[in-house]
Amino acid sequence: MTDAALPVTQSAVERFTDQYLQSLGCTIEKQGDSWDVTIPDTADTELSGRNLRIICGSTSDEETTGEPLHPESQLCQQLLSEASSQHSTGKISIATENTPIEIPGWLRESDVTVRDTQFTPYYDRTAIVVLFRVSIETVSEYQTELLRAIAVDARSDERLPNLEETFLRLTSLDEKAAESDPAKMGVADVRSTIKSARSHLEAVIEERIDEVHQEASRAADAEVEEFRQMQQQRIQELEETRSNLSSKIDDLSERINDSEQADRVQVLEERNELKSEFEEIETDLAELRKRREQGFPERQREIRERHALDVRISPLTLTQVEYERGEVTLMLQYEDGDCSITVGYGSGVGITEDVRCSSCNEELTEDRSLGSIDGAVQCSSCASDIGAH
Amino acid sequence: MSDYDLVDVEVTHEDNDELLDSLGDSDGGEDHIQTVQAVRLQAGQPDSELRSLKQLDEESVKMLEHQVDTAYRALFEMDGKALLADEVGLGKTIEVGMILKEMHFRETDDSVLILTPAQLAKQWQAELLEKFGLNFVCNYDDEFEGFDSHDYIIASIDTAKSDRHRATVLNRDWDVLVLDEAHYVKNEETDRYDLIDRLSYNYAFFLTATPIQNELTDLYNVVSLLRPGLFGTRDVFHQYFVNSNQETLVNRDELQDRLNKVMIRNRRADTDIDFTERIIDTRKFDPSPKERELYDAVSDYVKGAYSQDQGQKLVLMLLQKEVVSSPAALEVTIGKRLDEQSELTHADELESIMDLIDDIDTITKQERLLDIVEEARENVEKGRVIAFTQFRATQRQVLDRLAAEGYTVHSFHGGHSSQEKEDIVENFEAEGGVLVSTDAMSEGRNLQFCNIMVNYDLPWNPMRVEQRIGRIHRIGQKRSVYIFNMALNDTVEEYVLERLYHKIDLFQQSVGELSSILSRLEESGTSFEDEIFERLVNAGSEVDLENDFDDMAVDLQEQRDLADKLEEFNSGVFEGFDLGASDD
Repeated sequence: MTDAALPVTQSAVERFTDQYLQSLGCTIEKQGDSWDVTIPDTADTELSGRNLRIICGSTSDEETTGEPLHPESQLCQQLLSEASSQHSTGKISIATENTPIEIPGWLRESDVTVRDTQFTPYYDRTAIVVLFRVSIETVSEYQTELLRAIAVDARSDERLPNLEETFLRLTSLDEKAAESDPAKMGVADVRSTIKSARSHLEAVIEERIDEVHQEASRAADAEVEEFRQMQQQRIQELEETRSNLSSKIDDLSERINDSEQADRVQVLEERNELKSEFEEIETDLAELRKRREQGFPERQREIRERHALDVRISPLTLTQVEYERGEVTLMLQYEDGDCSITVGYGSGVGITEDVRCSSCNEELTEDRSLGSIDGAVQCSSCASDIGAH
Repeated sequence: MSDYDLVDVEVTHEDNDELLDSLGDSDGGEDHIQTVQAVRLQAGQPDSELRSLKQLDEESVKMLEHQVDTAYRALFEMDGKALLADEVGLGKTIEVGMILKEMHFRETDDSVLILTPAQLAKQWQAELLEKFGLNFVCNYDDEFEGFDSHDYIIASIDTAKSDRHRATVLNRDWDVLVLDEAHYVKNEETDRYDLIDRLSYNYAFFLTATPIQNELTDLYNVVSLLRPGLFGTRDVFHQYFVNSNQETLVNRDELQDRLNKVMIRNRRADTDIDFTERIIDTRKFDPSPKERELYDAVSDYVKGAYSQDQGQKLVLMLLQKEVVSSPAALEVTIGKRLDEQSELTHADELESIMDLIDDIDTITKQERLLDIVEEARENVEKGRVIAFTQFRATQRQVLDRLAAEGYTVHSFHGGHSSQEKEDIVENFEAEGGVLVSTDAMSEGRNLQFCNIMVNYDLPWNPMRVEQRIGRIHRIGQKRSVYIFNMALNDTVEEYVLERLYHKIDLFQQSVGELSSILSRLEESGTSFEDEIFERLVNAGSEVDLENDFDDMAVDLQEQRDLADKLEEFNSGVFEGFDLGASDD
C-alpha cells in the first residue's frame, strides 16, 4: 500500500510555502531565490503583520539576511505545523469529467486493447478518507512512523483502495490542488466510519507490524541469551571459588588435627569463617542453578516486557469525498474481433464489480488477466488452453 | 524462524477530538487540502536528497551512479548505520566521502572518527581533503594532540586502542564513526572488537570488501556491532543461516532481507566501471662504472652507519633511495649531513662520496629517459608524458636536461600555490611535452588527457606507486595507459621492482586490491619500507640479499593469494544475492 507521506524536497517545500502564504492573503515578490513577503495583520498565522524576506535553499550563509527556507529550516517546520492543525476536515468532489477512466488491472495486463470507454453516472455516493498516523515503537528498533490513507464507503463501510490512490494523487503537490469545502457529516456517522476505517487499517499494516514484531522478539531473545550466558559465567566463577574454599577448609581441618591447642583455636576460627563463606556461596549457587533450570523467568519477563511493541494509531485528517457511481462500458478489441463489456464503476474508485471468466468462472485479476473476448470473456489461462487444443 | 518467543504487541487507538470538533466549522474548509498536504509533508522523510552533491567539484571527483546510490541508501534508508561491502575497486572511500560531505552540509558531524589500518590513514586524509574538501587531522601529523583535542580525526585503529589513547577515545560521544577494513574487528575476543563495541556514536559506516574472513559467523559479529539483535543470538544465526560445514548460507531470502537493512554490496559486474588496458614496460639499465662505484660506496656507508646507530634510520633510508634517483638528490642530503655533523664520525666517507658524485658526468637514467620521451613525441598527441620522481633535486636536473634537448617541459611540486598548480596542468594539456612531477601531485587532479607515465624512480611504498598510476589510469581514461619503470641493474630499485612489485603484480592491480593486500601485511606486523630497508642493510652477502628479498616476495604472494581467495569466497557466498534496495 502506498505511503501517504510526501518526500520533503526543496521544491516541495517551496511550492507548499508559496501556496500556503497566498492562502493567508500574503503578497509575494520573487527575485530568484529571494522572496519578499508581506503578511497582512489579519492573517491567521503567528507571522501576521510582519514583512519577511525568505531565502530559498539557503543554509547558514552569513552574507544573506533573511529567513532561510529549506526542508529542515525553522520557518518550514513552523509553517507545516501551523497548516497541519488548521482544517483537519473538509469535503472534496471527484469530478467525472476531470478524472480519467481507471482501467482495471486484469485489462492492463492483457493483450486485449481498450478502444473506447463510456461512463454513465447514476447516483452520487459519499466516502470518507482518513489519514492515520501509525507509530510503532520498541526499544531495539528505530521508531517506525507511517502515514496511511484509508478510504471507506460511508454507506457500506467497504474499503475503496483505488479511492485511496486517487485521494493521494489529488492532494499531492504536483497536481493542481483540488477544491475543498467544509465537511457536512454528523459526528455519530463520522465516529462509526472512523471505527471501520481503523479495522481496515489494522489489516493493511499487519504485515509491517509483524515484521517489527519479529525483529523486536529476536532482539529480546538475544538479550535473554546474553543474560543466560552471563549467569552461566557467574555460576562457573562461583563453582571455582567454592572449590578453592573447599580445599582451603580441608587444609585447615588437617592443620587442626596436627596443631597445638593454642593454635587450634585460631585455626578453628579461621575455618569457621571460611565455612560460612562457603555456605553463602553454596546458597547463591543453588539459587542461581534453580533459576537457570527454570530459565530465569523473571528476567525473561522483564526483558520481553521492555521489548514489547507499542503501536499507536491516530486519525489526523478526515476528508468527505463525493463521487459518482454508475456503469462503464469498455469497448474492446482483440485481433480481428471486438466487443464491449459493461460493469459497475465509480469515479475515482474504479470498477466496482467482479468480472468472471465464462469458462472457469474465476474472477479476473492482474495475475489472471483477460485472455480472449472471442464470443465470451475468457481468462488468459482458459484462452491459452483452448489455443493449445 | 521460531526459536524465540514473541514479545507482546499493544495497539492503542488514540482519539482525535479536534478532528471531530472541526466538523462543525463552517469556514476554512476550502483550505483543507493544504492541511492534508502539510500533514503529508510532516510525515515525509526530511529531504532525502544528497544536497551537498552540487557543491562538489567535478574535476576533483567523478561520482558514479552506484556510489551516489550507496551514499543515499546508507544515509536515508539505513538511518546512518551501514556496512558498505562493495567488491574491491568500486570506490568505498568515495562513498564515505559523499556521506561525510552530506553530513557536514547538514551539520550533523560535530565529531567524526575514522579508524583505518595504519598504512592507509594518510591516504584517507589526502582523499577526503582533495576530493571533498574535508579537513581531517591524522594521528601521524605533528599537530595531532590526542583524541580529545580535535573533532575530525583519522587514526589507525591500533593507535586508538592503545593504552595511551583508549580511555580518551572511549570517553567521547562521537557523532560519526567510520571503520575501514571492518573485517579486522570480526573476532569478538580481541581488543579491537572491544574498542568498537564500547565506542559511543550516533552514526557508523563500516567498510569491507570481504565481510566474511574465515567463517560465516564473522558476518554475524560485524553486523551485530552495527545493529545488535538484527540476527538474534549467535546460536540462532548458526542454526538458521549457516549449513553444517560452515561454507554456505541457507535460508538466503530471509538473510538477504535482514542484510538489506544494514549492508550494501555493489558488484563490479553491475556497475559501469570500465578501465582501459594498462601496458607495463620495465626498462633496466647497467649503471656506468662511476655510478656503480657511487652506489656501492653509499650502500656500504648506509650499512656501516646503521650498524652503529639505528636512530639514523630515516636519513639512511633516504640516502639509499636517493642514490638510485640521481646524484643531484644525493648531493643535497650528503651536503647537509656534512654541514650538520659537528663531530664527524664518517666525514671521510662522506667526503669521498661527494667526490664520486662530482666525477659523474653522464647520468644513465636521464639518457634513457630521452628515449622514452622521444618515442612519445613521435607517437602520441602533443608528446605528453608525465615523469614522476620522489626528489626535487632530481626533478630540477631532469627538467634542465629535457629543456636543453628542446622539449617543452613543465614542473609540478608541492611548493606551488593552488592557482599555479591549476595553471601548470592547463598548460601541460594545451602545450604538451613532458611534465616532471614530484609525488605532491594530488590525486584529485584530472590528468586523463595524458596516457604515458614514467616512474623515474620508485617509491618503496606500493600505495605511492598506485597513486601515481591513478593520476592517469582512472575512470574516464579512454586510451590504453603506458607505464614505464626505470631501474638500474643490481640496485635496491631492481630488487624492489623485480622481486616485490612484479610478484604482487602491483602494476596490474585494480585500484583497491592493493589496499587489501597491504592491510593484510600490516596485520602480520609488517611495514613495507622498513622491511625493505632492514633486508638491505642486514644481508651478509649478495646471495643473502637475494634470498631475503625472495622471502619477502613469498610473504607478499601469500598475502595476495589469501586476499584473492577471500574475495572469491565472498563472491561465492553472496552470489545470487540481490542486495539491491528492497521494495518496501
